[in-house]
Amino acid sequence: MTIQSVTATADAATTAPGPGPPIAEARRGFGADLWRAVARNRKAMAGVVLLLFFLVLAVFPGQLAPDDPTAEIFLPGLGPSSQHWFGTTAYGQDVLSQLIWGTRQSVVIALAVGGLATAIAVLVGVSAAYLGGVADGVLSLITDVILVIPIFPLIIVIAAYEKNAGLFTLVVVLGALGWSYGARQLRSQTLSLRTRDFLEAARVRGERKFYVIVFEILPTMTSLIVASFLGAALYAVLFAAGLQFIGLGDPNSQSWGTMLYWAENNEALGANMVLWAIMPGVCVALLGAAFALLNYAFDEISNPALRLRRLDITGTRTRPDTGTVAAPVASERILEVRGLSVAYATDDGPVVAVDRVDFDLARGEFLGIVGESGCGKSTLMYAIARLLGPPFSGEITDGQIIFRGRDMVTLAERQLRHIRWREFSVVMQSAMNALNPVLTIEAQMRDACKAHSNMSSKEILERSTEVLRLVSIDPIHLHSYPHQLSGGMRQRAMIAMALLFTPELVIMDEPTSALDVVAQRSLMVQIKELQERLGFAVIFVTHDMSLVSHFSDRLLVMYAAQVAEFGKTRQIFETPRHPYTRALLDAFPSIHGPKVHLTGIPGAPPDLARPPEGCRFAPRCPHATPRFCSAEPPLFDVEGDLVRCFLYENGTVPETAVDTVVTASEGVA
Amino acid sequence: MRFVLRRFAFFFATLWAAVTLNFLIPRLMPGNAAIAMMGRYRGRVNPNALHALEIAFGINTHQSLIGAYFTYLGNIVRGHFGISLTFFPDAVSHEVLQALPWTLGLVGITTILAFIIGTLVGLLAAWRRGGVLDGLLPPIFVITSAFPYFWLALLSIWLFAIKLGWLPESGGYDVTTNVAWSWAFVGDMLRHSILPAATILVTSVGGWILTMRNNTISVLAEDYVRMARAKGLAPWRIMWTYAGRNAILPNLTGFAMSLGFVVSGAILVEFVFNYPGVGWMFLQSVENQDYALMQALFLLITVAVLIAILAADGATAILDPRTRDRT
Repeated sequence: MTIQSVTATADAATTAPGPGPPIAEARRGFGADLWRAVARNRKAMAGVVLLLFFLVLAVFPGQLAPDDPTAEIFLPGLGPSSQHWFGTTAYGQDVLSQLIWGTRQSVVIALAVGGLATAIAVLVGVSAAYLGGVADGVLSLITDVILVIPIFPLIIVIAAYEKNAGLFTLVVVLGALGWSYGARQLRSQTLSLRTRDFLEAARVRGERKFYVIVFEILPTMTSLIVASFLGAALYAVLFAAGLQFIGLGDPNSQSWGTMLYWAENNEALGANMVLWAIMPGVCVALLGAAFALLNYAFDEISNPALRLRRLDITGTRTRPDTGTVAAPVASERILEVRGLSVAYATDDGPVVAVDRVDFDLARGEFLGIVGESGCGKSTLMYAIARLLGPPFSGEITDGQIIFRGRDMVTLAERQLRHIRWREFSVVMQSAMNALNPVLTIEAQMRDACKAHSNMSSKEILERSTEVLRLVSIDPIHLHSYPHQLSGGMRQRAMIAMALLFTPELVIMDEPTSALDVVAQRSLMVQIKELQERLGFAVIFVTHDMSLVSHFSDRLLVMYAAQVAEFGKTRQIFETPRHPYTRALLDAFPSIHGPKVHLTGIPGAPPDLARPPEGCRFAPRCPHATPRFCSAEPPLFDVEGDLVRCFLYENGTVPETAVDTVVTASEGVA
Repeated sequence: MRFVLRRFAFFFATLWAAVTLNFLIPRLMPGNAAIAMMGRYRGRVNPNALHALEIAFGINTHQSLIGAYFTYLGNIVRGHFGISLTFFPDAVSHEVLQALPWTLGLVGITTILAFIIGTLVGLLAAWRRGGVLDGLLPPIFVITSAFPYFWLALLSIWLFAIKLGWLPESGGYDVTTNVAWSWAFVGDMLRHSILPAATILVTSVGGWILTMRNNTISVLAEDYVRMARAKGLAPWRIMWTYAGRNAILPNLTGFAMSLGFVVSGAILVEFVFNYPGVGWMFLQSVENQDYALMQALFLLITVAVLIAILAADGATAILDPRTRDRT
């Protein structure tokens, strides 16, 4: 989960968090962003410069070429000289002048075919997806057939009947056959857009289909349309040159392909007129490279995952926290987290997603970590499991994670590998994504067993059967692939996998959020049972406070990358101290409790790239005074409960403040 | 099962489209090229050859267009492609079978090699993200993938055959050696195939590298790769069965789509090297206005591409259990 996906509404706290839709972000101000991104990308700039160079040659050949390209006025077969940079042809023409005059045709073909093919691709692709049904079936079939019919041989067949094809024929034929790839991409993109909210909204508003397509769908696909244009232009340049080279173009036209045709016919390579045969190809390759580079760069721009961001940690190193650390319930500590900070590299510099977090965990303890989407709770969990780092842009910038006597922060991946799964395992939010789709459950269990033990195949099978039984799954499903199981079963299978070695600690990231409420409950009960039976400790990350209320020993409430409140679960539920905790509790229904009005939390969580001065909750807090915005509150110890709020500066909260808290939250309801 | 049926239906739809295009193109051309061509040949070639042309075009003055179309389809189904003018009086199918092994050997093997090499290099580049391989390869191969195949062929002839004299300039074998399955002949054949093979390899490998790299980068961010790391698996195991195995799936689909492009390039490479394969014969037939041969070769190329696509589908079905269950 990235910082950027922080959602802006209070009720987001009740929906499952996940990466935000990239499309929705792309909708806003794409043009300006696109240009900025191009300017920043070296490959894109190289492509733009090359393209501009050829554009200038194509527009002003008369002014730039030293000689008349067709005049046979020089000695044939001259080598390169200051007079003729690239020598002369077998007919005594200047090669450089021919090259410059030849640019125009290639550029015209590229742009015209690119335009034509893209127009058809948009028309076919978008209407296929938007119309659906039979129209989609027919259009998709045509697209697929044209996609796989070898186009170049087909063009040769056509050109064989229409000898000496002129520019117009070339453009029409290349354009009419070169749109299928783009159409396919645009269709699938449109399909994925169809159910998006903003389109549903347009439909509900009763907008006409045409309007929806032109003003709602097309702008979101700028980068795909550009890619389709560049791809078609590249293919047009190469195919046109190829056709002319084998003599299927107009032999009298001024083009690079025709130059190559004459050079080949005069055996220029053998006859020492090498540049005549090589330079036109260089030009084709460079113009093609311009389109290919731009295409590749656009791919990088529209798919941020392809860009490599490096974290610049200057300035992210945070001040040591003076707050106290709560002692765990039991005496035997297996995990101590000290001053842990994590930062993500973004295009606008580092963003601190976990800010100086401290906590301890006792053997067999159940710790809940709760907070809204984007508060840094999942990042904290991944940091503890040491699962940040490439390809993810997050990195631990400071702090210690002492797990059973070793500081995990300083361990190398090689050393970590031996601790992983044997001593601590991880259960992820969605088993659908966390299980390898191409391996059976058995194969994925075997992988883990083989990595950490010398168990025989038989022992592995026995152990796998055993752990599946633990989570009440029929061992027959060992041979199933993840997609063949139901959502609840997948989640259980993943938990079973995490118990293969009965580790000391199981870290769970919202393992129930993908399930319906009933399945959620039964899975929670089962996790708790297993935990008590096998004695492992659990760190349970969730956005749903009520879910952990009956299961966790202690609760850590996170807000905007920091610990807001940390204490015994029962104590927090009975007397929530931090105004944020209070608001969170009011945001969720209790399964057993009386019927109450639910209230959202007004305002939005802060942008972690620019956290507010002072208390981070102050902008949304009903009790904040201007003083709260001047300094960051430390964690105050209130009867064993740690609270990051100035209201508790003097140890206990003044009676009046408690009253206000209660009235304020009821007032919102 | 339905997946397989659907793919075969698609296969035949495409084949039918190619055959129909073959039938229609000469008729759609301005001035009906087919009739004009018949007029041009009448009296110049013997009646048998003329009849061959009639078969190739499906022209029969006594038949309507629809009737002619069905006669034509019938001939194609029975493998009657007419008689080649260039190699008269050999049947077209006979000539085609002579050229086929050369192309399968050259283009088939290099394409598979390019796919394997490209996929492995792409996987490695993405795995060592930000490393030397990853820093250098993408820009280089973005540019080489824009090279015209035939131009690189010319360049390599000039450098390695003419300037350095290391390798033969053209042909599939030295005409002075005995055509027989001897070591000398096979060695000679291999020597002749190095330059064309290298040309196809160098220009086509870039595409596979780039797509595989980008696929792998997306896959590496998937939860199951993270999970594999959490499980403490050995890095090569994660790279291979978790990242690679999943990243290759879209590349196989891409294989099907890029194949047409590779085949087009290979035709030109055979032409430049005078390599006695299908591509060279195809362009010869165009030059000699041997339409029967040309149309048969176009169909052959289409079928070859379709078979390769079916093979890629098969590989996908083996590697991706989800395709097998899709209904």
